[in-house]
Amino acid sequence: MSETIRISIDGKVMAAQPGDSILQTRLHGPDAVTANIGCMGQGVCGSCRCLVRKAGERDTVSRLACETVVEDGMQVSFIDYYQPDHVHHYRPHDLRDGWQTLPQLQQTFPETAHCRHCGGCDRACPRGIPVQQGIALASRGELPAAAALFDPCIMCNLCTLACPENIRPNHVGLYLRRAQAIQNLRPGELLRRLDQQARGQLAIDTTAYLARSSS
Amino acid sequence: MNAAIEYQQASQNRASHATPPRRADDLSVAALLAQYHPDHAADASTLLHIGPSRGQPCHPRLAQLLQSNALIDGFDLAGAEQRSTDVLVLGGGGAGAAAALTAARSGAAVMLASKLRLGDSNTVMAEGGIQAALAASDSPQQHFDDAMRGGHHAADPQLLAQLASDAPGVIRWLIELGMHFDLADPLSDGGKLRYKQAGGCSQPRILCYRDYTGLEMMRVLRETVELEPGIQLLNRCPVVELLSHQDGSCAGAVLYDLEYQRFIVVSARQTILATGGCGQLHLQGFPTSNHYGATADGLVLAYRLGAQLRDMDAFQYHPTGVAWPPRLRGGLISEAARSAGALLLNGLGERFVDELAPRDVVTAAMLRECAAGRGIERDGQLGLFLDLRPLCGPGLPTLASQLPALQHLADKCGIDPTRDPLLVYPTLHYQNGGVVIDSQGQSSVPGLLCAGEITGGIHGRNRLMGNALLDILAFGRRAGRQAARQAQAARNKSSLPHLRGGIEHVYRWQRQLALAGLDASQPAPLLYPGQARLTLHRPASARA
Repeated sequence: MSETIRISIDGKVMAAQPGDSILQTRLHGPDAVTANIGCMGQGVCGSCRCLVRKAGERDTVSRLACETVVEDGMQVSFIDYYQPDHVHHYRPHDLRDGWQTLPQLQQTFPETAHCRHCGGCDRACPRGIPVQQGIALASRGELPAAAALFDPCIMCNLCTLACPENIRPNHVGLYLRRAQAIQNLRPGELLRRLDQQARGQLAIDTTAYLARSSS
Repeated sequence: MNAAIEYQQASQNRASHATPPRRADDLSVAALLAQYHPDHAADASTLLHIGPSRGQPCHPRLAQLLQSNALIDGFDLAGAEQRSTDVLVLGGGGAGAAAALTAARSGAAVMLASKLRLGDSNTVMAEGGIQAALAASDSPQQHFDDAMRGGHHAADPQLLAQLASDAPGVIRWLIELGMHFDLADPLSDGGKLRYKQAGGCSQPRILCYRDYTGLEMMRVLRETVELEPGIQLLNRCPVVELLSHQDGSCAGAVLYDLEYQRFIVVSARQTILATGGCGQLHLQGFPTSNHYGATADGLVLAYRLGAQLRDMDAFQYHPTGVAWPPRLRGGLISEAARSAGALLLNGLGERFVDELAPRDVVTAAMLRECAAGRGIERDGQLGLFLDLRPLCGPGLPTLASQLPALQHLADKCGIDPTRDPLLVYPTLHYQNGGVVIDSQGQSSVPGLLCAGEITGGIHGRNRLMGNALLDILAFGRRAGRQAARQAQAARNKSSLPHLRGGIEHVYRWQRQLALAGLDASQPAPLLYPGQARLTLHRPASARA
């Protein structure tokens, strides 16, 4: 393991151990890391977004630094988070009526109909979600199918960054998934348990365990 | 490293049994824990010398941080930006989000400050699920009994009873916000949820969303907070100190704004600490499954201000952390794997513990196997096998559909789970103890509430799977509601702007450090793990 490779992170050349991730390499650097870091390898927090160009290649791809193994000559730029000016506001309460989901989607996210099929979102997604197809399905009213495509989304917002029409596809996907749960999930046993509790039943005896544990 | 069985040999031993034999237990549970659980190691506990819980046991590394100097002094606050709010929530995980949302819905003006970014926390990494006693055969009482037993009867009975009773309401709240749960039958149309078995539970009680329950929960909570007009969100603003009034009550906090490299002084009527645990301290040299931000910041600040702590020598080492490849060391393999039938095997190809015993028992048994030379060594990494073949039999749905996060992890390890086992070793996972709270999340310091992993008493000395996601929401909501209520009461009493606090408690603390002869040169909280320390940018004129 004595072989050392070099990669460039945000313009600084750093030594890296083969087999390490980009994120681990960055942590060995001289500065405290205070952003673009989170779950450290699980690939679920979406914080360590970066652009990566391999040695000798022209193309730059977006990746999660915690899941990408270093290669000699790699160039890496982390993508900072910012709060976009344009945010689509709604309340969970607004999503209760399933008959209104499509018109409300069009009202809340009017840009959804403006997709110009550039494919930027698909290329940006580190999870391989067919984002563009999801948006096409959503604007056609195929809401459950659209929602299902966004199931593995980690909300890294790379598709939002990539979209020239301000569609914010991951937020559209989450909106549809939330509407689905809010409208459809009514578990019978949960309803019964809440009803029992509302009637004052099922109070817990906090001392019974003492008798049981001493017996 | 102890003697161990080499990987190839262990693989052959495993292949030699069609059904792995079960090694007989040689120790009682109590003896097993006493001899092998990391909490019981000779160097895993010391007594606190100063502060409200002096004389109580605490892990030495944590004690060092708890009994340390402040990061700032009075000069740093001169000229700092001043802000004020009703309720200040510190921490951007599930507990902080639940507290902020509930306080805002209760009518309070809320500020939520997060060290990294809202949602970037241990919550998003939770995989297994959340406990709620919903089945007709189940009850909150049984939920309570299981958790009380799992925590070795050390839990605060009132807090635990609230946890179990709040669970159904928490699930309803999550569904109302738009969180999905796995259904028992995909065709049941939202009528019946799937219940999974957790270690130490009398019956299946875990609700989940695939094996990324925390991701599903956190993406919904984050979106709700970001769209809530009553919450002002401050990302990348770690808390560096709390503020106090003359009477010792909490008056808000000092934040460090990383973007502008300056301090912000936030005066708050009520402050809620939801800063999580301390996995990144790598106690006892263990790897950790925890998020980058888990550095005990809130615990250190609460203690300095006078909040009592409990069980600071009780930690959870999750049995199944990744041991190989080294790049992924410590990463979590959800208990959902064992819940679905995965087996733990030693280097002889034997099972050695009930895989669904409470976590501390499984961990101790694994460490016993390693100590006895029955561990497995691969490229210098020591561990045991987690055999996934029982999940991959003919007629079963694919691993990718059952447990997609586990399949994703196996891919990253370069392992075909239908054939090869994962190498696993216990990983520091959870802080069982923490700040003492009452039923509304109130700490022993007036004006300071706590919720989530920073608190102690809910789980006793060991937590069961699925009770952490429940705890952060049950007590996050309670703390949020209580803080809003208290802030409203204070506003009703006086319409004047509230008094600004200071850091008098820091000076008192420094005197205690000096009197006890403790090293005051090391400042805390750590804020970020690792070697490189963040340099706080200070106003040049005050320092000159």
